[in-house]
Amino acid sequence: MATSVDQTVRLHIFEQAAATGTVPSPEVIASGTGLSLESVQASLRRLADGRVIVLSPTSPAIWMANPFSAVPTDFRVIAAGRSYFGNCIWDALGIPAILGADGYVEASCGDCGQPMRVDVRGGAVHGAGVVHFAVPARHWWVNIGYT
Amino acid sequence: MLLFRSEEHVDRWCGRRGIPRGGTMTFEQAWQLARAWYGDKLRPEWRRKSPEEAEAVFEKVGLTEAFWKLR
Repeated sequence: MATSVDQTVRLHIFEQAAATGTVPSPEVIASGTGLSLESVQASLRRLADGRVIVLSPTSPAIWMANPFSAVPTDFRVIAAGRSYFGNCIWDALGIPAILGADGYVEASCGDCGQPMRVDVRGGAVHGAGVVHFAVPARHWWVNIGYT
Repeated sequence: MLLFRSEEHVDRWCGRRGIPRGGTMTFEQAWQLARAWYGDKLRPEWRRKSPEEAEAVFEKVGLTEAFWKLR
């Protein structure tokens, strides 16, 4: 069950990611919220258990704060004058959506590798292609990194 | 979830991996899905959608096949 600490931490993560293009580390979250690092780390575990964020499998850092990726991916997004990474094409389009801003996604065809670009302008999407999900929805969280 | 230049490219990708074709959507559907899913996530009152709410979003965008069911 989400606590007020979790709500504070969640908002800080997403506000920072939106404002800077960088998903904050636990240390930055602690510094920005005035919470102890231990409290932040415990909150991050609860948020991950609730599937609000995804933690790195090898460290206490955040891997995904969907739609934002904490690490470079094949889905680069330019929006509101900043550069971001989305975790997938859904998340990449989620970045202009969460910002309420125009932007574009740079990616490539999953088959042939040809560069592809998807634009969001004036609230409408522009581009040609197809989005494909290999994993059925009920299995997305079995391996969210693969999904 | 990946981008492809065309349905043919999706078929080739699935064929090379020996996996069945999954679910596809247009860019317009992906954009509408992204807006419905993430448009309010910076609000303090945001909360994760229930499976029922999520399925309602998928249906509204036109994703009605069994592939998109969560339950």
